[in-house]
Amino acid sequence: MVISLKNGFTEAGNATLFVARFFRELVKPPYELKEFIRQCYIMGYKSLPLVAITGFIMGLVLTIQSRPTLAEFGAESWLPGMVALSLIREIAPVITALICAGKISSGIGAELGSMKVTEQIDAMEVSGINPYKYLVVTRVLATTLMVPLLVVFADGIGILGGFAGINIHGDVTMYRYFSQVLSSLEFLDIIPATIKTFFFGFFIGLIGCYKGFTAASGTESVGKAANSAVVTASLAIFIIDMMAVQLTDLFF
Amino acid sequence: MRKESGFSLKLGVFVTLGLVLFIATIYFVGKQKNIFGNTFHLNAKFKTVNGLKVGNNVRFSGINIGNVNEVELLTDTSVMVDLVIRKKYQEFIKSDARASIGSDGLMGDKVLTISPGTSDKTPVKNGDVILTKNAIEMEDVMLSAKTSVDNAGVITAQLAEFTTKMNTGNGALSKLISDEEFSNSLQNTLVNLQTASHEFALFTAKINSGGLSESLDTTMRNIQGATKGLNENMEAAKSNILLKGFFNKKKKADAKKAAELKKEEDKRKKQELKNAEDSIKNIKALVPVKKVTGGL
Repeated sequence: MVISLKNGFTEAGNATLFVARFFRELVKPPYELKEFIRQCYIMGYKSLPLVAITGFIMGLVLTIQSRPTLAEFGAESWLPGMVALSLIREIAPVITALICAGKISSGIGAELGSMKVTEQIDAMEVSGINPYKYLVVTRVLATTLMVPLLVVFADGIGILGGFAGINIHGDVTMYRYFSQVLSSLEFLDIIPATIKTFFFGFFIGLIGCYKGFTAASGTESVGKAANSAVVTASLAIFIIDMMAVQLTDLFF
Repeated sequence: MRKESGFSLKLGVFVTLGLVLFIATIYFVGKQKNIFGNTFHLNAKFKTVNGLKVGNNVRFSGINIGNVNEVELLTDTSVMVDLVIRKKYQEFIKSDARASIGSDGLMGDKVLTISPGTSDKTPVKNGDVILTKNAIEMEDVMLSAKTSVDNAGVITAQLAEFTTKMNTGNGALSKLISDEEFSNSLQNTLVNLQTASHEFALFTAKINSGGLSESLDTTMRNIQGATKGLNENMEAAKSNILLKGFFNKKKKADAKKAAELKKEEDKRKKQELKNAEDSIKNIKALVPVKKVTGGL
């Protein structure tokens, strides 16, 4: 009991130090721009199909599922607005972040974990390259910036999915649908939801890197690192989401 | 190197598209809220705004033309509402236009409606204070509804009392409803009345069809003929031999009477004459005496 508590606190302390080091290395030159762009490509562009399919399905399903309840009130005309609101405020950010946690965080955890296990990180340090800067900063920065973009795509494609879902039963023109969507949106729906996706991205990258960077020696720890990266990142996403929503609710 | 430029291109497209999508959404939502583009301000002073909030729509002829920008309490009884309205609608809002606060549907948001003024007035200017109409408050409606309900309560109570009295009392109405005998007799009366009216209807029909009136007419004509005949009879009787004497005697009697009257008249005249002669004689006898005495 005491030992597990002690281990927990040690873990928290290590993580805090890891975060502090990230910010220190972030502002210090030299900048690994090329590696950063490569990571952006891998994390952003390569995740797009997955996010697009998820977003489309979420929009479609949400529309079909909400229709009966709204139809009961004769409020089917609110369907586009409702779907767009729930997508933009909550569903697209969280679903996209979870997808990214599964794809990116586990990828980073496995990659860095195997580098750590095969002592490549130590080799980099020996050869004069700052492994933290090259491996961690670029990846965390890339996820921080790419996840919001992926969420924007998920929003757009999800709303298109909603359009498809509405046209299963009704007949709404594209123009009318989008004007209904836009009229129901406010900045208060878009801005806080966008801000929280930066945090999602930051923690997805950070947790993946931390789990990989602190992997113990031995091949099985690579799998452990990947697994615990996904679990921790997913949990973190929900916790951040709760905090973000409560803060938004408090101030606006 | 070729591979590298390939992925930067894809990344560039990805990032650019994402940013464009995001900015476009921001722009369109902002356009919806009149943040970009030409707008002007109007002010309206209300006693109460009924929960009108910043961002509620402003409607003119049913079209959304702007938003509520600010709701500010001026004094304890007046609220100033600042409206942002698209510039292109400015020319349609005349200086005597009136603002009122309504509700969008049963459960919907509050809406500020501007009703058009008269077309010959000048358009409003930026920052003008326009006239307002006080909204009908739900509480007022409820209050008047409560009065009606109270009245209805009194009426129903009295109606209930009346019904009870009718069922248990001894008045004509209660008898009508509860007493079987009374209702039977009433029914009989009604039956009799029905028969009577039926008979009367038959009678009237007969009169109208002419039977009685014709006979009446004949009677009258007969009477006329009878009186005429009587007249003739009288004439005939006058000239009849048997009755001639009677009529002659009647004539003679009349003549005798007239003669006697004449005789009496003569007698009276003679008497008067004699009286007059006597008095003259008396006067003559007096006069010589006087002459004598005068001579002396």
